[in-house]
Amino acid sequence: MVGDIGFQSLYDWIMGYALIGVTLLLFKYVIVLPPKGNSLSMDTAIFLACLFLFGIEFSLNVLLFSSLIYSFYEKRINWSKHLFNFSAYTIMLISTYYVFLFFNGTIGSINFINLFAYLASFLIYFFVNSLIISTYFWISDKKSLIGVLDGMLKGTLESYVVTLVLSLVLGYLMDSSGVFGLALFAVISILLSIVFKQYFSLYESVKTKANMDHLTGLYNHGYFKEILNEKFEEMKQITINKPLSMAMLDIDDFKIFNDSNGHMKGDHVLTLFGEILIEKCKEKDYVVARYGGEEFVILMPETTENQANDFIECIRKELNNTYVDGVERLPYGCLSFSAGIIEWNIEMYNPTEFLTHADQAMYYAKEQGKNNTHIYGHEFEPLEITASLEELEQQLKLLLAKDIYTYRHSKRVFKFAVEFGKYLLLNEQDKKILSLGALVHDIGKLEVPREIINKTGKLTAEEWNTVKQHVTWGREIIQVDKKNASLVPLVELHHERFDGKGYPYGKKAEEIPKLARILCVIDSFDAMTTERPYQKTKSYNDALDELRDCAGTQFDPFYATAFIDYFNKEYMQVEEDITTI
Amino acid sequence: MVYDGILFAIIVGFIRKGNLKFLTEPLFRWGWIFPIILIIQILVFNFQNQLPILGEWSNTIFIFVYIVGLFFLWLNRKNAGFNLIMIGVLLNFIVMAINGGRMPVSEEASTILDPMYMEAIKNGFYGKHALLTESTRLAFLGDIIPITSPYPRDQVISIGDVIMNIGIFFFIQDKMLKDKPTEEEIISMQLKGGEIK
Repeated sequence: MVGDIGFQSLYDWIMGYALIGVTLLLFKYVIVLPPKGNSLSMDTAIFLACLFLFGIEFSLNVLLFSSLIYSFYEKRINWSKHLFNFSAYTIMLISTYYVFLFFNGTIGSINFINLFAYLASFLIYFFVNSLIISTYFWISDKKSLIGVLDGMLKGTLESYVVTLVLSLVLGYLMDSSGVFGLALFAVISILLSIVFKQYFSLYESVKTKANMDHLTGLYNHGYFKEILNEKFEEMKQITINKPLSMAMLDIDDFKIFNDSNGHMKGDHVLTLFGEILIEKCKEKDYVVARYGGEEFVILMPETTENQANDFIECIRKELNNTYVDGVERLPYGCLSFSAGIIEWNIEMYNPTEFLTHADQAMYYAKEQGKNNTHIYGHEFEPLEITASLEELEQQLKLLLAKDIYTYRHSKRVFKFAVEFGKYLLLNEQDKKILSLGALVHDIGKLEVPREIINKTGKLTAEEWNTVKQHVTWGREIIQVDKKNASLVPLVELHHERFDGKGYPYGKKAEEIPKLARILCVIDSFDAMTTERPYQKTKSYNDALDELRDCAGTQFDPFYATAFIDYFNKEYMQVEEDITTI
Repeated sequence: MVYDGILFAIIVGFIRKGNLKFLTEPLFRWGWIFPIILIIQILVFNFQNQLPILGEWSNTIFIFVYIVGLFFLWLNRKNAGFNLIMIGVLLNFIVMAINGGRMPVSEEASTILDPMYMEAIKNGFYGKHALLTESTRLAFLGDIIPITSPYPRDQVISIGDVIMNIGIFFFIQDKMLKDKPTEEEIISMQLKGGEIK
């Protein structure tokens, strides 16, 4: 009778008992697959096999009893989740059943005649399941419905097909040998589950080893960079402003400690420090890694630089108070570290720049007498730019012989940059970076073949691409000397456009560092007003008009306007005076 | 059935390198109840056909024995597997109590049994059991599951029996493997002598 709970005959009950038992076993023995949390459960195969062999009532009975027993057994899972799973299965099975009947499928035994009905059933089962699961994540995690659906289709399709086809296999087995067939299926499934579990734990342990630093138990350099890159991408996509800070820590005078106490004791200090870091970072969900010898990095999501400072200071105090044998030989008489902290902002060029700045801040802290913490950008005096004007000019002179246009252009842009920097009231450091960057911004043109540079006709697309490459080549030339590191963004990014249509990356608005945006304005202005083999010259007024027109598309509107004001004030005023006279 | 289950559990226990040390310690709380109810059962079983009074009261006595047994299980519920044993016994008890103190046996399933045994049930002689009929309530909890070749002993059991046996299996496994030396101990014993500490 429809609506009755329980199986129809005593024979059905015996079969039902066996099926419920096996279903329960399969709930427990799932096949775990990487990545963590992913698994394949064979219970679906049982429900579908029951559906094809005995009909919907039988299948739902097996589902009901096994779900009930499982929810009593597995109390750790919230009852609402049990209820949700049960309801989801019920909906899936019922819709599958009617689709099966609609395609003229006959209940009873697994038969080739029903092939299309089986296929249709599988499709509808998969479809309904995906829909339910996606809706669940959509409601609970606010993830986009299509995104989840897409992830499901990509990640689980194969395992899905496995379960669906296995339902037919189980159907055959049960059809021909009853409980014995079911037992065979159960044994195979359980053994598979055990074997996969072993592989999975092997995979997990190897993965851990690959990502861990053996001595301290922290993440290693490589894995940290992976996480940092991911986080960086994430930060760029998220529109809500959540802070992200990073600290770089370096144990003070570790070499002295090692030399006077031996490496064994030194290793002990590293292990101890690692333990302290793990303990502290666990509470806050921070990512901590051993960056190099005695250098450590901590990535602190949702933390401002000041919060990060407090946190690091707390660790520093604890380390100062930790006694280790041999610590007397250190200058301070206690273990200590110097730390540099940096907070992420949209102008950050790439993860390497992020790390470099943290490193610079850490060295600044060391210079302040060690055993302290310093936040990047809070220096009393500007960080010294070690790149020297003379050296850069020497490099630029190489251009003189090859491409006199670019040489002169660079000199003029340099002059504008010095003046415009003053006009904008930039701080000393920025002024210096801007002017030096302006001087060498086109250094990459050294690599562009002469015939292209001096070509008088129109450039082909291919030749244009070569010219465009000069920003990348320029970066490579500048990067050779570490002290020029702060000039790199200017050299590489001065052809990025405010609307994201520039090259080489197509960065947009605030993603382009401020100084590169300023340089772009100056560079373009000079390019427009200078005689070039491949371009007509514009008058100053025309060029200023163009700057005005393109403010907000090609140029940062603020700096474009500022440049027009500056230029009018410094140069046009005189002309106007002359005309009025 | 119960004895088969115990034997099977012990064999598996030995395969898993377990031992029977636990038998030297007291196993249960109120452990003495267990032999007493066993003796009562055997006595009633053997003499109910000789003594008419005993025959009349045998159903009540069996139900009483089950209640005492359930109480005993409840006292020892902290042991591994006892929750399952309790559920199994309770299921058997429910179907017996609701059907006048006798376990219904399915005739269909019992065709595998000795015909003599069936005859005895039909005539109402045979102690604890009665034939399953249309009027039997909760028949699906009765003795309906036939166990036959390749299993060496033909019998018909109930779902309660199955669950109870699973419980007994877990209990014996737990006890047999309790004092098993862990892997670490084995290794440290091997390392003794010649090793630092």
